[in-house]
Amino acid sequence: MLGRLWAKSWDPKGKHCYVTGGSSGLGLAVAKLLVLKGAHVSIVSRNAQRLESAMKELETVRTSPNQILKSYSYDLITATGAREALDAVCEPHQRRNPDAIFMLAGSCHPRFFIEETEETMKTQMDQTYWVQAWTALEASKRMVRDKSKGKIVFHSAYIGYITLVGYAAYGPGRMAIRALADTLRQEFLLYDIDIHIAFPGTMYTPGYDIENATKPKITLKIEETDPGVTGDQYAKGLLRGVQSGDFHISPDLLGNIFRASMRGVAPSSNFFVDSLWNFIGWVGLPIWRMTVDSTVKGHRKEHEEYLSNKGFYSSSNKSFSQ
Amino acid sequence: MLQYLGLENGVITLILSTLVLALWKMWPTKKWDPRGQFCYVTGGSSGLGLAVAIALTKRGAHVTIVARNEERLAKALAELEKTRQSSNQILRSYSFSLTDADASHAALEAASKDHGNKYPDTVFMCAGAARPGFFVEEDAKSMQKGMDNTYWIQAYTALAYTKQLVRSQTSGKLVFTCSILGYMSLIGYSTYSPGKHALRGLAESLRSELILYNSSVHIMFSGNIDSPGYVEENRTKPKITLEIESTDKPTAPDVLAKELINGVQRGDFHIAPDMLSNIIRSSTTGATPHHNVLLDVLYALIGWIGLPLWRRGVDSTVLKHRKEHKDYLATRGFFKSTD
Repeated sequence: MLGRLWAKSWDPKGKHCYVTGGSSGLGLAVAKLLVLKGAHVSIVSRNAQRLESAMKELETVRTSPNQILKSYSYDLITATGAREALDAVCEPHQRRNPDAIFMLAGSCHPRFFIEETEETMKTQMDQTYWVQAWTALEASKRMVRDKSKGKIVFHSAYIGYITLVGYAAYGPGRMAIRALADTLRQEFLLYDIDIHIAFPGTMYTPGYDIENATKPKITLKIEETDPGVTGDQYAKGLLRGVQSGDFHISPDLLGNIFRASMRGVAPSSNFFVDSLWNFIGWVGLPIWRMTVDSTVKGHRKEHEEYLSNKGFYSSSNKSFSQ
Repeated sequence: MLQYLGLENGVITLILSTLVLALWKMWPTKKWDPRGQFCYVTGGSSGLGLAVAIALTKRGAHVTIVARNEERLAKALAELEKTRQSSNQILRSYSFSLTDADASHAALEAASKDHGNKYPDTVFMCAGAARPGFFVEEDAKSMQKGMDNTYWIQAYTALAYTKQLVRSQTSGKLVFTCSILGYMSLIGYSTYSPGKHALRGLAESLRSELILYNSSVHIMFSGNIDSPGYVEENRTKPKITLEIESTDKPTAPDVLAKELINGVQRGDFHIAPDMLSNIIRSSTTGATPHHNVLLDVLYALIGWIGLPLWRRGVDSTVLKHRKEHKDYLATRGFFKSTD
């Protein structure tokens, strides 16, 4: 722990950073920050139009003509897509593996569990877990095969620590990616690959609007006092965490309390400060939970009317897919 | 004088409330009774699922077991028959592949036919399997299979069951079975711990959401189970993982089945069947309801010091394994592969 005070901070300058979900929201914010710090940056996402306008933004913060800034359109929810994207991304760099991969692609679609279907649950798992796991798999195989040094940065969310009504499909994916990062942190002690994982809370990005479109009213109500940040603000904290070598990155008050309360076996950057956060959470989180439970209980009648209006009680037993 | 009285009252209140907190949840209140209940057990043909099915049958429940293999189901049903308590008990078995959403629904439908189309009172989701390995040796198929056999195999059943509970406006109970690897992870479990953590996420969200419906959820976090599944898992488990786990003896399924039923009866949300799982549970509580607060503080204190020490030891073991691992990958032609 003390050794880290003198450890050299990771510098993105001159390094090749691959950012998934880099055309909007947190991904774009991190990409811009990396360009500002002198990195070569490749961004990948699905939407070609958004990629084009993202590239324009990256160009405005270019610090040197030598920086290689590229964008590619791929869907990363399949192993094949992840592989092809990596091939494309490595091409301008003499097929060398990226020095750091920031996996920030994904989306959130909250709804009541009983309104989920096989399809919506699978899509949510794709958008929280697989969209990162495939890239991590493909990149890891290459980096280990080529014996390259590097960093893989995952992202989860507050909900990857503590979840509630409305997130029955999203929470699992966010917790699953935390588990993958935890496994790889230990497993990759066998190699020269560092693992990081960030846990943002509310961020005012295009993704937030998409999320709120399906979010149950009760969930919105419970979350209405949550503080939020912009993508740019969070990107600064995220990058700082990576540069300092933090494993779980949670650069804000609630994030720290959640992280420390869920610490389990994960290493922490500061044992004593984390013990303080843990203690605060130990006292505060049960109170929070009991309040939330009480709010949910008070919502029963309104929820019954909601389901009734949607014809839920009269829908056929056979119609599993609706 | 008044001040003095006030202080005395304050001290008495403090002592009483400490006592109440200390004694709270120390004895099972035996609220939930399986007798006469329709219990549905997935993975019920072997291992933990079979042990749970037998334990429920012994306690007078109607039990339906579901799994894939028909031969194993037949043998399992015969075992249930041996422990039948009364001629009224409805004991059945059905073969369905529960990693499929439609099959998970169809299985519940089939089981409900034996009970006048009524869905089970309690669903015990004991189906699952592990296939540990090094991440860099996994592929798309093994990763998908890992998630299927840990998460989807229980989640689809939970989805079909919960929808029907709410539709019919009846109350019910979901019991997930998870693992210590749903609380933390370990080298070699990249296809297993994500799905187990996902189950925790589902159970936690459901605990909150089921308040809307007067139904309840439980989830057990056990270590290694002395079962056919465990033998199978160890055949391909990386040597280093086996080495790290060598001090943990696997627990007998019937012991875990008893702990599971006791935990459900106590009304525990997270069911931790032994000391280790309680220590880890209390070290990764988040907003999960505590059991006995004072005991949990004790477990948490042990974990606070013990878990980082344990982890450092394991990390050190992994670091020492680097060369051996490189040789292992080389002999498997890993460094030559072009994909």
